Amino acid sequence: MLSRIADSLFWLARYMERAEDTARILDVNYHMLLEQSQQTYRLRWEPLVIMAGEEKRFRETYEEANAETVFEFLAFRQDNPNSIVQCIAKARENARTIRDRISREMWEDINGLYFMLNRFNPEEEIAAGPHRFCDAIKFGSHRFHGVTDATLPHDEGWQFLRVGWSLERAEMTARLVDVQYQNLLDTTSMANVADNHQWMAVLKSVGAYEAYHRQHHSPIEPERVAEMLILHPQHPRSIRFSATEVQGGLRAISGTGSGSYATEAERMTGKLLEGLRYDRIDEIFKRGLHSYLHELLRMFRLIGTDIERKYFYYGAVA
Amino acid sequence: MASVPSEALSPLLFDGYDPGNFYDEMFSRRGYPRAHYQKIFQKLAAVAPPHFEERRHLADLSFLLQGITFTVYSDGRGTERLFPFDLIPRILPNSEWRRIERGLSQRVIALNLFLQDIYGPQRILHDREIPRSLIYSCRHFHREMIGVDVPHGIYTHICGIDLIRDSKTGEFLILEDNVRTPSGISYVLENRIVMTRTFPDAFQAYEVLPINHYPAELSRILRSLSPRGTTDAQTVLLTPGIYNSAYFEHSFLAQQMGVELVEGRDLVVDGCIVYMKTIRGLKRVDVIYRRVDDEFLDPLAFREDSMLGVPGLMGAYRAGNVALANAVGNGVADDKAVYAYVPKFIKYYLGEDPILKSVDTHLCSQPEDLSYVLDHLPELVVKAVGESGGYGMLIGPASDRATIETFRERIKADPRNYIAQPVIGLSRVPSYDPATQRMGARHVDLRPYCLYDGEKVTIVPGGLTRVALKPGSLVVNSSQGGGSKDTWVLRGEN
Repeated sequence: MLSRIADSLFWLARYMERAEDTARILDVNYHMLLEQSQQTYRLRWEPLVIMAGEEKRFRETYEEANAETVFEFLAFRQDNPNSIVQCIAKARENARTIRDRISREMWEDINGLYFMLNRFNPEEEIAAGPHRFCDAIKFGSHRFHGVTDATLPHDEGWQFLRVGWSLERAEMTARLVDVQYQNLLDTTSMANVADNHQWMAVLKSVGAYEAYHRQHHSPIEPERVAEMLILHPQHPRSIRFSATEVQGGLRAISGTGSGSYATEAERMTGKLLEGLRYDRIDEIFKRGLHSYLHELLRMFRLIGTDIERKYFYYGAVA
Repeated sequence: MASVPSEALSPLLFDGYDPGNFYDEMFSRRGYPRAHYQKIFQKLAAVAPPHFEERRHLADLSFLLQGITFTVYSDGRGTERLFPFDLIPRILPNSEWRRIERGLSQRVIALNLFLQDIYGPQRILHDREIPRSLIYSCRHFHREMIGVDVPHGIYTHICGIDLIRDSKTGEFLILEDNVRTPSGISYVLENRIVMTRTFPDAFQAYEVLPINHYPAELSRILRSLSPRGTTDAQTVLLTPGIYNSAYFEHSFLAQQMGVELVEGRDLVVDGCIVYMKTIRGLKRVDVIYRRVDDEFLDPLAFREDSMLGVPGLMGAYRAGNVALANAVGNGVADDKAVYAYVPKFIKYYLGEDPILKSVDTHLCSQPEDLSYVLDHLPELVVKAVGESGGYGMLIGPASDRATIETFRERIKADPRNYIAQPVIGLSRVPSYDPATQRMGARHVDLRPYCLYDGEKVTIVPGGLTRVALKPGSLVVNSSQGGGSKDTWVLRGEN
C-alpha cells in the first residue's frame, strides 16, 4: 500500500472522530447548561475551548466564552482548523484523494455528509442551539463507521483507519477527563450540585451515563467516573479500550504477535497498556490525575509521530 | 426501409423539430428519419415529455451520486459540476464506422512513425517534406527526446482524435489529433452504463457494439511496455491530484484497471530507477500511464517549479528503466501547424492516400497564406498552434470587430503561432432542451479513443460525442455549456 494512501486513511478516520467528539461535547454541555444557573456559566464553556487546544485562537476572536461563541467557534469557524466543518472538509478531502481505494458506498456517504453540512446555516443553528447540528454530525460519523465496517475489506487499509480513530478517541477522552477534573477541583467548594451535573455531562458526552448507573447504582462520584473513562476494559470510549484498539491495529499491520513489538509505536502502546491494565484508580489519584493523563497524552503523541515516521514519511529515499 | 413522416405519428417530443440548413444526423429532411434512426425515433416519439423528464432526472441523479463531476474554478473555491448528459444517442451505421476506424488507424500509425522519425533519424526533414524551422519552433518539441529509445518504438499509445462532420457533405473530417493526454473516456464508459439503465428497451431494438473492454485493453498495452517483462509489471497511473479537472477519470481508470493511482510525491527516483513509496518501503515501478503534461513531469528536465512531477524521472526514462505512456514530446504532432502536414506524413511514411480528410488549413508562417488570412479574418476560424481545449481561438463570423482586430495584431506579431481554417458547420443531432421540453437540433463532434500496441490500433466502437447544448452554439467544451451523448455503433446498418 502506498504511504500516502495509508496516511490519508489514518487522517480520514482521525478527522471524522474529531468531528464526532467535538459534537458530542458541545451538545451535552449545552443541555447541562440549560439546567444550570448563571453562576457557573463561564466555567462551563471555557473548558471546551481548552479541550480543543484552541484557547489562544479563541481569545483572539471572542471576548467571552458562552454558548453562542463556543458553538460557533467549535462548529463553524473556517479559521479554526479543528472546527467541525473543517474536520469534515478535511476528512472528505482525504477520502477524495483515495476514492479509488475506499468503497463506493464510503465515498458517497462522506461526500453526502459534506454536502449536508454545507446546507446548514450557521446563524440559524446558533440561534436554535447545537442539538440538531451535533446530532447530524454524530449520526454521520456512526454511519461512516457502519458503512466502512460493512463495505471495506478488513485489510491493512482498514487497520490504518482503526488506528486513526482509536488514537484520536483515546486522546480526546484523556483531554476531556483532564480538563473537566481540573475545572472541578477549582470549584468543588463553591458548587457541589454543579459538579454532579458536570460529571453527568462528561459521562453523557461519551455515551457512558447509562453504563455507569448499571455498574455503580450510586450517586455520581468523580473518581468512579474517571475510572470508567480511563480504565474500563469494555467501554468503547475509555482510554484503555481505545488504546487496545490502537495496539490491535498496529499489530495487524506489522504482523507482530502479542508479547513482542515491531515498531516504536507498538512498544509504547504496549507499555502504556500495561499501566492501564494494572493501575487502580486510587493509585492514579495518589500519583496525581493531571500528571498521569499528561503522561498518557505525551505517549499518544509519540505513538502518532512514530506511525508517521514508520509508515507515512516519504521525504527521503529509504 | 421506408421512411415515415413524423407528422403522421404526431410525436410530442419532436413537435416543431427543424433540421435546418445543417447536416442532421437523425433526419434526411424535415419529418423523415434516416434508416438507422428509425427505431429510436419511434420509441422516443411514444414517450410523453413528463415521462422523458423523469428518466432524465434519474440519469442525472445517477451521475451525481457517483460524483462523476468536473471542477470549475470560476468562484475561487472550485465547484464540482455535472457534465450534462443528453439521453438521445448518436448512432453510426457499421459501414460508416468501419471507414472511420480504418482512417483513424492509418492516421495513428503515421503519427507514430512521424514521432519516431523526428526524434530519431529525421528523414522527413532531410527530404524537406516539412520545414525544419516549423518543427524546431514547436513549443512542445522536446530536444531532450532525440535519440531516446522508447519501448517498442511506441509514442502514441492513447490518442483521442477529434472528428467533425462537414455540415454540407456529411463527411467526417479530422479536426485535431490529441496525442498527449486526451481525456474523456470515463464519460464514454459511464454514459453507456447510465444509458442501458435509463433506456433498456432502446438497446433491445438495436444491436449496439460493446465498449467496456477499453480498460482491459489499455491495461494490456501498458503492461506490455514493462522493461522487466510483463508478469510482475508494476503499472501506475500518475495524476496531478484531486484539483485536476479530470481527477474523476484518473481514479476511475486506476480502479477499472486495478493499478495504483499515484501523485508525483508518491514516486522517487534513485539510481535511474523509479520507486513508489509504500508502507513496506520502496517498490519498483515499471510503467507509468501519466496524466501529467510533459512540462510538469520532471522539474530537473522541464519546469523546475513543478510540484506535480518526479525529479529524475526523465533520467530513468532515458535509461530505459521505466516506460511512459504516452511518450514525452508528442506535443509536436499536436501542433496545429504540423496538423496541416499529416496528410503528407501518411503518403510519406505509408505510401497511402489519407482515408479521412483534414480541414483545409492556412499556415500564417507562410507569407501568401498570411495575407489571405489577414484579408479574410471575419470568415475564418483562427487558432493558436500550441493550445487545446478551445483556448486561444477566434471564430470570425461570431466575433465583433474589436476582437478581430486584436487577433490581427497578434497574428502579425507572431505569425508562426497561428493557423486559420474555414468555418465548418458541424453536423447536428436532436437533443433534449429542458427549457422547452422538446427536441432541438444541436451541434456535435466525435472523439474516438485509439489504443496502439505497436502492431495494431484498437478503437472502442464510437467514442465521446460532445454536444453544444446551447441553441446555435458551436462550442462543445464542457467548460462552456457542452454536454455529451452515448455513441452507438451498430453491428449492422440499422
